[in-house]
Amino acid sequence: MSNKVSRRTFLSYTLMGTGGFMASAMLMPMIRFAIDPVLANTGGSDMIPTPQKAADLTETPIRVDYTIKDRQDAWYTSDESNTAWVYKEGDKVIALSPVCKHLGCTVNWEGDVYKNEFFCPCHAGRYKKNGDNIPGSPPLGPLDEYEVEVIDGFVYLGGTIPNTLV
Amino acid sequence: MNWVPKDVDTYINQKDYIDTIVVPLLSIDTRPETMKNSASSSEFLMNLSMFIEKQFKGRMMFMPPVSYTQSTDLQQLADTLSEDLKKSSFAHTFYLTTDAKWTSVTVEGKVVWLPSIPLETMDDHLRQTIMEDQLRQVLTHFMEKWNVQ
Repeated sequence: MSNKVSRRTFLSYTLMGTGGFMASAMLMPMIRFAIDPVLANTGGSDMIPTPQKAADLTETPIRVDYTIKDRQDAWYTSDESNTAWVYKEGDKVIALSPVCKHLGCTVNWEGDVYKNEFFCPCHAGRYKKNGDNIPGSPPLGPLDEYEVEVIDGFVYLGGTIPNTLV
Repeated sequence: MNWVPKDVDTYINQKDYIDTIVVPLLSIDTRPETMKNSASSSEFLMNLSMFIEKQFKGRMMFMPPVSYTQSTDLQQLADTLSEDLKKSSFAHTFYLTTDAKWTSVTVEGKVVWLPSIPLETMDDHLRQTIMEDQLRQVLTHFMEKWNVQ
């Protein structure tokens, strides 16, 4: 007798089942939306390959040109070419952004009479090798750094982060 | 700097540093037999302008290209441009062009003439190298003027 399901219990189970299903159909998306910011991809996973082999790097910064494929701009897609100054400090690969912190020109390694420095040709801005701006020259902050990863011997670069070496 | 509101705002705040205006002069030839050449040199000039802009963003303002068709009177155009650019507050004016006719035109500021190089058949790497070479060429003209004062 205890195994018998009465009409009343059967109906209430059915009702609870459908009700629960409908409630979860409403709640699940809400929960998913609520926790979405936590699950969002961080920029770090967006590493872009460069043609530079990590083994060929030395302590002297060299210019690495690479292409970001299919950058979506306002109304057209195009490949954007980008540049980084890359060198090795011990075993660590360091990539600096070539964009001058003054007004955004492109800096060069030993571009002027100053040895062992980055030089900005626009207004004679100077930076040390680790990107630190030299006081007395126009830039007000150190060069940005790229996130670096070495995958299969090649240097991969991510987004820019504030300089961590200075 | 480009001729966009955001960069113009920067220019207004940093007038002392951004003292150079560059005007790309773009020749458009409408005759069918020379159209391709005209398009090719226009591509070259625009690419080069963008490349130089990236390198010298903090000192140069790039105007949108001034385009003209083949029978335009260049001396007249040059006079108008010189007159109007006097009203701006840039200390140096450069005109960037692939059209050899500009070498015989008198104009306020300096005309930098470069022979056009067809880029359409080149891959990205070669383009980059060509652009760097060209940049080095024009750089001497810019430096010459900048170092005078």
